[in-house]
Amino acid sequence: MTTGALIFARNNEQIDYEAMAQWSARNIERHLGIPTHIVTDDAPNDNTRHFTDVGNVTWHNHNRMDAYRLTPWDRTLVLDADYVVASNQLQSILAVDQDFLAHRWAYDVTGCNTFEGLNWFGANRMPMWWATVMMFRKSRQAELIFDCMQMIRDHWTHYRNLYKNTTVTYRNDHALSIALGTVNGHTLNHPGIPWDLASLTPEHKLTQVDQDCYRVDFINTENKSRWIELRQDFHAMGKQQLGAIVASAC
Amino acid sequence: MNTDELVAHGRARFEHAAARRTLKEKYQGKLTFAYGGGMWRAGPELQSTIFTCGKIGEVVLLDLYETPVKIDTTELMALSQQRWQEQMNAWLVEYEELNQNR
Repeated sequence: MTTGALIFARNNEQIDYEAMAQWSARNIERHLGIPTHIVTDDAPNDNTRHFTDVGNVTWHNHNRMDAYRLTPWDRTLVLDADYVVASNQLQSILAVDQDFLAHRWAYDVTGCNTFEGLNWFGANRMPMWWATVMMFRKSRQAELIFDCMQMIRDHWTHYRNLYKNTTVTYRNDHALSIALGTVNGHTLNHPGIPWDLASLTPEHKLTQVDQDCYRVDFINTENKSRWIELRQDFHAMGKQQLGAIVASAC
Repeated sequence: MNTDELVAHGRARFEHAAARRTLKEKYQGKLTFAYGGGMWRAGPELQSTIFTCGKIGEVVLLDLYETPVKIDTTELMALSQQRWQEQMNAWLVEYEELNQNR
């Protein structure tokens, strides 16, 4: 059975996602020992999204559901370009007998944010599944999930209204969450990655200490400066800071 | 009672509790491993379950996804013990650093 990673990367006005993906591919090879394909094809119907660190940018996020069709591997790890692989932790989900896995919960590594608003979506508080890390193997179940995501993307206004989602902009996380619910018969009982997604929000300062060690400087609720060291995988939501780390590594 | 001191103390406790929780999140992930096509979390619960099987060799256990998986008790016990000890030691080191910072 062949195994590899897939990263979708298309640059916009502010962020060099391709450089980020290439940097990430080297980390994936080093820690997980698998090859990476980087998808840079044009995506239709792009969004505009506001990020606190870079402002309004074109957001090319519409072709994630093509992962099933594009992957050359039997088992695929789909990662966001801003997901930092700093350990071999993801190896376990590549060895498990499951068709599709994603994170159900994300948390802030600094403990400053509860992520209450991010782990749910819509007026009915639907559980959110994060499309940041997805593992799938070629199977009818995985194919249906990606087909369903495409259907949701193509009829986004309908699904946004149906789920009373106030977010106008299409998001892969929301489409994945709706798709998992639909494909699994609305049981809210899907196998997930059995640990939570470590995340770092853009207001905190991220720097690299050494190859797999990062420092996060932040202001805590007491308004005091604090810092922590990260020696684990994490989702760097501050694209600009990760971009600077990537640029300095190149 | 000095209310400023009380507020400062409460906030410090909150920060410490948040840091402990973050540490737990991190090690919950590191204690997880795949074996025999199933997903497992190293620790006393798994090791007790293996022990209560009452036999050495192949048995069927439910993994973290509640899927029955055929496993070898000796192999799974060894993997669980090794990972448990490694990660608990690392957890302790970080926990002590956290207390010193406090």
